[in-house]
Amino acid sequence: MKFQHKRLLTQLLIFLSANLRPFGVKTGFCFPFFYCNACPTATSGCPLRALELSVFENNYKWKLLTYPLLILGFLGVLTGRGICAWACPIGLFQRGTAKIARRVKKTPLAKKLGYHPIEQYLRYAKYFVLIGLVFFTSAIIGFMFTDICPIGFLTGTIPTLTLFWGKFVPSSFFIVALIVFILFIILIVLIERGWCRYFCPLGALLAPFNKVSLLHVARVEEKKFQKECLHCNACSNICPMGIDVTKLNRDPECILCGKCIEVCPKNLIHFEK
Amino acid sequence: MKKQQAIKIAAAAIIALAGIGMITTTTVYDDVYDSIVQVLCLSCLKLEPVTESDYTFETANGQPHPDYVLQNLTTGVVFLHYSEDACHGCDIMYPIIKELFQIEFGKEDMVYYEVPYHDQIVHYYYTNIDHSTEERGDGFFIYDKEHIGGLPMFSIVTVGYDSGIIRPYYTSLYGTLTLDTDEERLEFLQTIMHESIELWNENHGAYHPEEQ
Repeated sequence: MKFQHKRLLTQLLIFLSANLRPFGVKTGFCFPFFYCNACPTATSGCPLRALELSVFENNYKWKLLTYPLLILGFLGVLTGRGICAWACPIGLFQRGTAKIARRVKKTPLAKKLGYHPIEQYLRYAKYFVLIGLVFFTSAIIGFMFTDICPIGFLTGTIPTLTLFWGKFVPSSFFIVALIVFILFIILIVLIERGWCRYFCPLGALLAPFNKVSLLHVARVEEKKFQKECLHCNACSNICPMGIDVTKLNRDPECILCGKCIEVCPKNLIHFEK
Repeated sequence: MKKQQAIKIAAAAIIALAGIGMITTTTVYDDVYDSIVQVLCLSCLKLEPVTESDYTFETANGQPHPDYVLQNLTTGVVFLHYSEDACHGCDIMYPIIKELFQIEFGKEDMVYYEVPYHDQIVHYYYTNIDHSTEERGDGFFIYDKEHIGGLPMFSIVTVGYDSGIIRPYYTSLYGTLTLDTDEERLEFLQTIMHESIELWNENHGAYHPEEQ
């Protein structure tokens, strides 16, 4: 079985395990990835919901803060952002839209924008989403990221409206959330893994672990790499996170999908423990 | 290199042990289960349940009515108000309920009031799911007639005639009642209260809690 097929199979199995409520499976764990507890079939709770509740209106609940951080921290130390590529259902969803995004990537405008210097700085937006929308507004204003979360809309609102037609009506946040959701769809259709790159607050939590994780993607030793690299750029071109793999050094954006490893004609990139 | 790896393995082990320790020695697993997994997050959903005020005799989960409801029905209608800490709809509904019954309470309190309401007694119970006892929390699932699992929820329990016996008869309302203004919400609740009190006045004479 091809490596990418193994990854797809893992993603599908984890997606199934996240949707076992119809079989009576409900747990008090937090998902280690982005998935909404309001989904009618969700097995566990969203870690962001727990984090929001932990600081909501300045009522600090250390247990709800520490618990999801320990779950994410454990997996982060082991695999860094590997969860994004191997477990996250939203990663799986974006895998489905990647073909269109790759076609768009070839257009001159997308190329120009893709190499624009501002693109690198946009990646910091996810840290602002995490600190600003998940923690700050929940603590100070009482407004929560989950009120407008596009993942909640995708995995909670749409399935609920479909399965329980006529039982629910839009709330006051529906229109804003719908606009955010449409922007989310446009983003991931235009840019491969655009959500993971720029806005995912869980990606922001996991990204720093890439610097210390046990498993990571690495180049072979520098001398050998410089000597043997064909500069074909196949690794960077295939990277769904838009990383310049030839300069890869424990990049916080790397999601360990292994595509660069597979595509390198000289086997100069590998998983390292 | 090996030293670094050992440090990382040790870090992973410490985090794992801390996590396991937390689950086994604190209530965090139950807290997440009760307040995030069991209760439907209407904020996450961006939706509100459609309000249908029809009454029923059957409890939502087949469990018997709680004792405090059965006993209090001898003297008046029981109004059960369920809420949680982080809930936009709950915040909208607090002032309306306070105005309806002319009462005051804190968001995190668990209160019971015997409220005089149009020359009658209404037994008002406020339960914040995040700060409640098991008995009071269980009521939420007993009266969740539409199986929504979302908050806020308001259950109005009165008594009604059912095949030769007078039994508890209730309706449950959800969210902000699918109405746009506070005035409309207050008026709607007043109408429901009026109906419930009429039913209670008609039937309470033959109501016996011990028969339930």
